[in-house]
Amino acid sequence: MKQIQMTQNPSFSLISTNKIIQMNNVWTSYDSKNFALEEINLSIDRGTNYAIVGQSGSGKSTLLKLMNGMMIPSSGTIKIDYVTPNMDNKKFKKMMHTIGYIPQSLGLVKNITVLENIMIGALPRLNKIQSMFKQFPENEIKEAKRIISLVGLTGKEERKAYMLSGGEKRRVAIARALMQKPTILLADEIVSELDHVTAREIMNLIAEAQKRMNLTAIMVHHDMQLALEYANRVAVIKEGHKILEIGVEGDTIVDFQTGDMNTDEIMEMYDDDSKK
Amino acid sequence: MTPKNNIVIGIIVALVVVASYNVDANPIEFAEGLPNLAIVLEEMLLVEPKYIPTALWAMFETIQMAFIGTVVGTAIALPLSMLAARNLNSKYVYAPVRALLAAIRTFPSILWAILFVIMVGLGTFAGVLAIVMYTVGFVAKLQYESIEAIDSDPMDAVSSIGVSKWQLIRYVVIPESASHLLSQILYMFDYNVRQTSILGLVGAGGIGFYIINYIKFFEYGKAAVFMLVVLVTVLFIDWVSVKIRDKYIIKSQHGMEVTAK
Ligand SMILES: Nc1ncnc2c1ncn2[C@@H]1O[C@H](COP(=O)(O)OP(=O)(O)O)[C@@H](O)[C@H]1O
Ligand SMILES: [Mg+2]
Repeated sequence: MKQIQMTQNPSFSLISTNKIIQMNNVWTSYDSKNFALEEINLSIDRGTNYAIVGQSGSGKSTLLKLMNGMMIPSSGTIKIDYVTPNMDNKKFKKMMHTIGYIPQSLGLVKNITVLENIMIGALPRLNKIQSMFKQFPENEIKEAKRIISLVGLTGKEERKAYMLSGGEKRRVAIARALMQKPTILLADEIVSELDHVTAREIMNLIAEAQKRMNLTAIMVHHDMQLALEYANRVAVIKEGHKILEIGVEGDTIVDFQTGDMNTDEIMEMYDDDSKK
Repeated sequence: MTPKNNIVIGIIVALVVVASYNVDANPIEFAEGLPNLAIVLEEMLLVEPKYIPTALWAMFETIQMAFIGTVVGTAIALPLSMLAARNLNSKYVYAPVRALLAAIRTFPSILWAILFVIMVGLGTFAGVLAIVMYTVGFVAKLQYESIEAIDSDPMDAVSSIGVSKWQLIRYVVIPESASHLLSQILYMFDYNVRQTSILGLVGAGGIGFYIINYIKFFEYGKAAVFMLVVLVTVLFIDWVSVKIRDKYIIKSQHGMEVTAK
């Protein structure tokens, strides 16, 4: 278990020139009555491995959907690389090509092969003929093969997606996202249902890709332990509010949002979430 | 049974009695007519086997008409179904297309056949066109319903990559709805063979033409040959399509239909 140590570290200041994701006083709701998220302020540096934790129903998935333009906030501003996410915005639509999004349900196409599922990530780079007739160019097939071996799916390229195990399906979804040559990776509880060993295998895979590609990874977790192990920043969401944001530097955990949090409170949170 | 149920049943029975009076549906007349049926059946039993080759040929023609109608109708229906699906289009696209399809479906095939006989003259071509129209209306509806039933997860995940509409259709919509398509086409063909068998009644070709003419001239024995051929053929096609469905449409562990390779 990590040592938790409270410091007021100035290096975790919110002011930076390289903010890839910024949220300013964001509120959002599915119906007109209840807010799924309230007063969210976030600022994520390029290349960060960012984790969002919280109990189910706290608003984690909603937060990711705001980042890729699938949802529009009721109020407040969101900027992804200084562009407002919105599917109708041409500039953002282009950016979506390099935002890898892995929903909680993975979103694989069941009746096509592993290779075809992964090629979906490259579709924005293909022309009409190539994509209609599945005439994938040599270099894209090579890239797909490389990613397939990276995620450990070699030999399963021609399998239909519905025939895969849970762990394999996750690898396909990750490969599809990597095939996008992403600058941002949004992953929604993709290891929550896996056993301890497989979950870490998959987390290591993402961590490696993240380092090599200078990817900004934003991963939703149920398990605080896992978040602390892999992320360099962790936001805790509770009932639609960001109640805590901590930085992780080696074994040191730094709270830079509220100066007055104490160790006991963090531990309580930690226990709450790991028990759930 | 609750008193409320009794009242409802009472009302329904009363409505049936009133409607029967209005349309002259008289059970006594039905009973009186039974001996006539016996005469017809008796004459039908005098099956004239030498008409079998003609009947088989007429049936073959009928099947070909149904086949062309089903294939061409499906080919027209598929793009229309993409336009009619609510999860792929804006209201301004799907609403008019759905209205058009609904209008097409309001006509039974026999009415289409009459219309096309007027347009292109008596014969099999009018019948083929009628089957095409009917197939377009129905396959498009079945197909847009299965497109709308596609799991929204892959649709959302793939849309979030910012792919084009065509790519979404090619990589998600078609593969995820195609498993139903084969069984829909088989069902439609089966149904079209039956429909085509009666289009001859209005001069639109097919085996029905012979049946109606023999009946007109009270040659029930000859008509019976043709009717038997229809019966046997329809049963046979039914049996074959069940076999094909069993072979190619297997149930995956998830309990959903998938098309085997
Ligand atoms: N499609 C939806 N329609 C209405 N309410 C929703 C929908 N999706 C989520 N919610 C509500 O929004 C809140 C946050 O949900 P979500 O972001 O999915 O939480 P989490 O991912 O943390 O489990 C919950 O109260 C949930 O019931
Ligand atoms: Mg969720």
